[in-house]
Amino acid sequence: MLIFTRKEGQKIRIGDDIEITILDVKKGSVKIGIRAPRGLAIHREEVYQKILQENLSAARSVLNGQGTLDDTVIRLKAHEAPRKKE
Amino acid sequence: MKVETTRFGTIEIDEGKVLNFVKGILGFPNDLRYALLPHKENSPFFWLQSLDSPDLAFVVINPSLIVSDYSFELPEEAERELRLEEGDKAEALVIVTFRNRQNGDARSMSANLLGPVVINVDKRLARQVVLDPNKYPVRYEFN
Repeated sequence: MLIFTRKEGQKIRIGDDIEITILDVKKGSVKIGIRAPRGLAIHREEVYQKILQENLSAARSVLNGQGTLDDTVIRLKAHEAPRKKE
Repeated sequence: MKVETTRFGTIEIDEGKVLNFVKGILGFPNDLRYALLPHKENSPFFWLQSLDSPDLAFVVINPSLIVSDYSFELPEEAERELRLEEGDKAEALVIVTFRNRQNGDARSMSANLLGPVVINVDKRLARQVVLDPNKYPVRYEFN
């Protein structure tokens, strides 16, 4: 891992297009500004962790899920299948 | 090709039907090849069976069957990775999780609307996409 020490207002560049600015530092929290090309996904790590945990639960939960699949009547709200990407 | 699975025994998969994940489903980085198997005739559910781990399978469903207005803008990065071009058909599936309810024995089912699996149907490429957590829940109960 590459480690930098930066002060408020200072920046870091990643490649030509990504600019990270330290906006504010106080009491154990850092406010960061990120300028990056449109279309690059930027998320808090927790979002990934949340999905990852749910994936693990999903994979485990199917061990006994089969009965539920067959018994459940789902309220189908729409019939039209695949949405196209805009 | 013949593939061993824990749930379905040995299955025969047409190589052209294999879904190649450009990135593993989060938490399963080494499983990159899956087959999409219908649960039963007339069932809205499918099984996303890993071809790399016999015991790994997810239940998935077309999200528009659960939430009629489910839509999202595919991040450009994902669009590139899935090599989606003019004329390619994109499809989304969401992963289902089962949970025991506190009362009674009927189990709840929820769909992960935050992290749909997006498929380039024509090129058989897929990946899980991370959407905006302010707009989409990770657990959307639908039964």
